[in-house]
Amino acid sequence: MSASTSTPALASAKLIDPQALMTIRSLELRARAVVEGFWSGMHRSPYHGFSVEFTEYRQYTPGDDPRYLDWRVFARSDRYFIKKYEDETNLRVHLLADRSRSMDYGSIGFTKGTYAGTLAATLAYFLHLQGDAVGLLTFDEEVREFLPARHRVGHLRQIMHALERPATGQATNLEAPLERINSLIRKRGLVALISDFLAPIDRLERNLIALTAGGQEVTVFHIVDPAELNLGIEAPALFEDVESSRSIYIDPVLARADYMKRFAAHGEALRAICRKLGVSYLQLSTAQPLEIALFEFLQQRMRRGRLFRRARSSGGSS
Amino acid sequence: MSFLTPFFLLGGLAVAGPIIYHLVRRTTRERMMFSSLMFLLPSPPRLSKRHRFEHLLLLILRCLALALLAFGFARPFLRQSPIDDPTAAQPKRLVVMIDTSASMRRDGVWAAARVKVEETLRRAGPADQVSLFRFDKQAAAIVAFEDWNRTAPADRVAFALGRLGAVSPGWAGTHLGNALVTAAEALGESDDGKSAPGARQIVLVSDLQAGSRLDALQAYEWPKGVELIVETVKARSPTNAGVQIVADGPDSSRATDAPVRVRVTNAADSKREQFKLGWTRLGNPQGAGVDSSADFAGTPIEAYVPPGQSRVFSLPMPKGGTKAEQISLRGDDEAFDNTAYFIPPAQQRATILWIGQDVAEDTKQPLFFLRRALAETPRVAVQVIAVAPSAPLLPADVIAACAIFVADAVSTETATALRQQALAGKTIVVVPRQGNIAHGAMLGALLGREAVRIDEAKPSGYAMFSEIDFQHPLFAPFADPRYSDFTKIHFWKYRRIDANALPGARIVAKFDSGDPALAEIPVGKGRIYVLASGWQPEDSQLAVSSKFVPLVWSLLEQTGGVASFATQFSVGDPVPIPTELAATGVRPPGAPADLPVTAGAAFGQTMQPGVYEVVGGTRVLRFAVNLDANESRTSPLGVDELEQLGVPIARAKTETQIPSDKKTVLQGLEAESRQKLWRWFIAATLAVLLVESALAGWTARRSTLQSKEAVS
Repeated sequence: MSASTSTPALASAKLIDPQALMTIRSLELRARAVVEGFWSGMHRSPYHGFSVEFTEYRQYTPGDDPRYLDWRVFARSDRYFIKKYEDETNLRVHLLADRSRSMDYGSIGFTKGTYAGTLAATLAYFLHLQGDAVGLLTFDEEVREFLPARHRVGHLRQIMHALERPATGQATNLEAPLERINSLIRKRGLVALISDFLAPIDRLERNLIALTAGGQEVTVFHIVDPAELNLGIEAPALFEDVESSRSIYIDPVLARADYMKRFAAHGEALRAICRKLGVSYLQLSTAQPLEIALFEFLQQRMRRGRLFRRARSSGGSS
Repeated sequence: MSFLTPFFLLGGLAVAGPIIYHLVRRTTRERMMFSSLMFLLPSPPRLSKRHRFEHLLLLILRCLALALLAFGFARPFLRQSPIDDPTAAQPKRLVVMIDTSASMRRDGVWAAARVKVEETLRRAGPADQVSLFRFDKQAAAIVAFEDWNRTAPADRVAFALGRLGAVSPGWAGTHLGNALVTAAEALGESDDGKSAPGARQIVLVSDLQAGSRLDALQAYEWPKGVELIVETVKARSPTNAGVQIVADGPDSSRATDAPVRVRVTNAADSKREQFKLGWTRLGNPQGAGVDSSADFAGTPIEAYVPPGQSRVFSLPMPKGGTKAEQISLRGDDEAFDNTAYFIPPAQQRATILWIGQDVAEDTKQPLFFLRRALAETPRVAVQVIAVAPSAPLLPADVIAACAIFVADAVSTETATALRQQALAGKTIVVVPRQGNIAHGAMLGALLGREAVRIDEAKPSGYAMFSEIDFQHPLFAPFADPRYSDFTKIHFWKYRRIDANALPGARIVAKFDSGDPALAEIPVGKGRIYVLASGWQPEDSQLAVSSKFVPLVWSLLEQTGGVASFATQFSVGDPVPIPTELAATGVRPPGAPADLPVTAGAAFGQTMQPGVYEVVGGTRVLRFAVNLDANESRTSPLGVDELEQLGVPIARAKTETQIPSDKKTVLQGLEAESRQKLWRWFIAATLAVLLVESALAGWTARRSTLQSKEAVS
């Protein structure tokens, strides 16, 4: 489910080169530059409740809440129908941003961390504009900062500040933030996990199951550097792990094939987990414009919305 | 270039280290930060030909430093044509000194010395000038420079050895200082008066015993450029003890038959310390190193002398009238100094004739004091025969008397007889008791002329000696200012004698009034002394003064009656032969013929120890000649003692004994120690390392900067 620039709508749009974008110092400005020109509007709320917009009727079945019975229909037809409404509420989005040391790597002039931060800021800005509540959780080997999802004045600024703070973490621990967010949020919402996933993913599936079981919609942004994709280094060198500082001698000519194989296997394993759990997976190379990410995100949202409506309608007809 | 320790060159293989290091390091030097190594496996370092040496200059410097270090440790040197001695090109002037002192008689020493001399002579080059000296107490040339130069070069060694063959060790002591001074002066003398350009050396072939006398060197400024090469020869056996007579002085009061004191000296490196000492019969062979007591006259005494010490033993004179003149030591390895000769000093007898009216025991008479002054000693017994002036003179008394004292007037006949004795050589001392005509007539008769006027003089108070001729033998013993004060001797009265009446007289002393006090008038072969005052208390204080006895003895010696004759001499000492003996020769020990000697001269041919006999005179005189006591000190003398006296010592070269391969090694060692090329290599190594450090530092800084730029 990698992003593709072949989308007709996106192809016609003017995309901002990430390298040019990253020259903008302010994170908020970068986010605004990306969001600008995008459609801004209300998302369909997954919450159903007392709302002004009627969606459909269905026949009452024992166990339904009698509060939702349409007494007028009963008066006219002497049949019990449950009146259903489409609840137009704000989306609660939690952005989980990886701030580990491995995100500091970058081969094209900026790091994965900068790209991921800009992506998180773009999403937050976009959602904030829509009136959605946006929260932020930064993590490395442990949870560093947590801002609950809110939509209030100054909250976006706090998120921007939190994203702009220099990362102090070392390693990557994917388990801690997911467990933490699972324990913190009760309401359904959207969780966007932005990371390079350069850590063992053995227990990732279990944590994602816990999230999705809680009704959270999860989107995974897998940030990769172009050099990580194909080991784009030519000269043999002593490679030093930015997280563990361990160094080994690597001759890329010899090691490339094996590396690409193992890296692809890692990505495939991650993708398989997401597919299995119905989690949106988006691998983003830092060379890709951020609009693609935003576009893909919205597309997926819309697809999921249609899917959701289809499921609901089919469920209502049965 | 050669190397002293070439195996260190293997250390040069260490240059492989930097080369491999540079190859390997080329692949691992650059560091690359990467996000994660979880998909990467380590690659083995590749050393393919694709790799080029980076930092080639650094590599060269490192290899160079290691190579230089290896070279330095290999001790390189430049092999040169062997030049042993820079002065070898110039002819040397050489004096070979061979010791012929008595200590060279020890077993094996002389033969070894001759071998050393021969080696030294054979080492001399054809252009060298060589002189061969022998020395003991004196140094004398065996082969002079002229003889050497005159001889054909091929025959020189044989010629010198032929001369040396006629030389053997003597009996004299070792006066090494004198010998060295003689040799140094011989080296300084050149034919043309200029100093030779080549080296000047003295080769000393000696046993270099501790008893060598070096005192001559103390006041001698050693000439520059003269070196001494010491070739020491050693005896087969270090044990040597010697015996010497502890000589008594001529004035000794020891009895003539008192035990003889003998000093036994044991050398410091001796192995034995128990000896036997005793009288032996004269003429026994000296050689015997055997511990035999059979030839001892009487019982020998056990002499225990630890090495390096000397002890004095009293050896009683043998009893029974045995003639004992030789003392021998037995139990020693070396016999040359084991015999000492002893001639006991004989008691001399003299007779004095006193003509006067004295009563022998009258303490107021001059005879009384004369007898006391001439009391018998162990060495001299003087008999005073008192005769009254009126009594006839016995011819035997007159002949036996060495001096005749006349105190009172005698008859003209007697005076004439006395005059005859004086003419024959006797000494007559006239001490006129009174100033009167009789005495004047007697004196005139003695002098062979008319009567001399003699008056009695009574000075006011006292008179004293004022003008004393201290050049005269009588007063010569008092010439020292400490003894020349005669003013405390007062003369109450004296006889005034007209000096004009004594022609030819030598006024030895005068009174303060100017009158003669003592006059000497030669008469024929003899002489007549006239003393103007008596010594008895009635006349003066002379008899009770401290000058009287020496004066009388001095007079007695003047008469020749008690001439002292030493009986103990060392080899080489000149022996004074008393004039009055009128000896014609001296018979050395064991010699068949006498050596002629002049009476009054010194006999200098005391070449060997033994008992010598002066023959042909009025009486037989024997004296003993012994070895120099220092010859018995045969322990080796340190060469450094010569150096302390300013003699530069050169070590003898013994290269002929070194095998050729070892010689090559030694030459290499010498060349290496002289050139010390390793210092330059080490210095070059340090310089290269400095440059390498600077270059490596600069390279590292540049790499760091490049890495930082790459990361940013």
